[in-house]
Amino acid sequence: MASQNRDPAMPDVRAKPATTISNLNSKESHSVTKRLQQELMALMMCGDKGISAFPDGDNLFKWVGTIHGAQSTVYEGLTYKLSLEFPCAYPYQAPVVKFQTPCFHPNVDQSGNICLDILKEKWAASYDVRSILLSIQSLLGEPNNESPLNVQAADMWIDQTAYRKILHEKYETEVKSRN
Amino acid sequence: MASTSESEGQKEGDDPEDANKSNPSQDGTFECNICLDTAHDAVVSMCGHLFCWPCLHQWLETRPNRQTCPVCKAGISKEKVVPLYGRGNAKQEDPRTKVPPRPQGQRTEPENNGPFQSFNWGGDGGFQMSFGIGAFPFGLFASTVNLGGPRLPGAQPGTPQFEEEQFLSKLFLWVAILFIFWLLVA
Ligand SMILES: [Zn+2]
Ligand SMILES: [Zn+2]
Repeated sequence: MASQNRDPAMPDVRAKPATTISNLNSKESHSVTKRLQQELMALMMCGDKGISAFPDGDNLFKWVGTIHGAQSTVYEGLTYKLSLEFPCAYPYQAPVVKFQTPCFHPNVDQSGNICLDILKEKWAASYDVRSILLSIQSLLGEPNNESPLNVQAADMWIDQTAYRKILHEKYETEVKSRN
Repeated sequence: MASTSESEGQKEGDDPEDANKSNPSQDGTFECNICLDTAHDAVVSMCGHLFCWPCLHQWLETRPNRQTCPVCKAGISKEKVVPLYGRGNAKQEDPRTKVPPRPQGQRTEPENNGPFQSFNWGGDGGFQMSFGIGAFPFGLFASTVNLGGPRLPGAQPGTPQFEEEQFLSKLFLWVAILFIFWLLVA
């Protein structure tokens, strides 16, 4: 039965990979749901220090993640919220991950977009929410200053004391004033 | 010495688990690295990573230009994965009903000693004409030469096996003669 249902869609998928998402049938979206449920279970079971994530309301395809700045980095003591949006082709396509909390960092832009290879060309289907959040957590402490989205942050990174001062000032004004 | 290598082996077994698994439970060992569920129609890559075949196939389909293992980024290809067949998986499903079909295991035949056994006359194998007519005369030559040579030690005269081999030899001889005749006529 399943193969019969799929057959009409197959030539389209082969011809135009971009249409894959629209041609996904209910079975495939079910498998995405199943995988996201697995991830949620694993996240709640393992209880990682410094990261957490949970679906945003009833929609399992949109999560809110939280990252605490790692110890002995300039981000220690700061907490960031992120949004994770999962495409229908997840995990074959990376989720769209953005900082919701304003983040002063060489590889994060004003809108919260993150420049991280594993979310782009180096994405692999074995990555999950946990590994994404852990990667972003370590990116905070180890930025890639070669191709910065925030040039000011990249330039200041060398002077960690000054960087820390600016970072925490910005966090105070931009984040705490919001709440 | 033995204890050293033992503890090393244990380490090697544990570390990749910790690095790759989001789920620290013991059950994680046979979970697919893509859907995170127990692997079904399991295949293992040359780098040793386990996937459901449909999951891995879809991963390879989504990036035809960069065929890498989702776990370790090693080079990977549809042809170079090994299917895993567990015991007691008795449900006889037509593989064609599955999209896509899982690749076949590559089974190497054990080496045979007798020249007669180099041709697959067995009941289930049948004779493969697809080997090509080019190679055929050589096989015939090798076999017909053996007709006059010493007998194989395996089959004793009078046993059914001996008679079978005698029959096959004669049959082969006739096929050879017919073939040479056909060559001459054509
Ligand atoms: Zn799978
Ligand atoms: Zn691998």
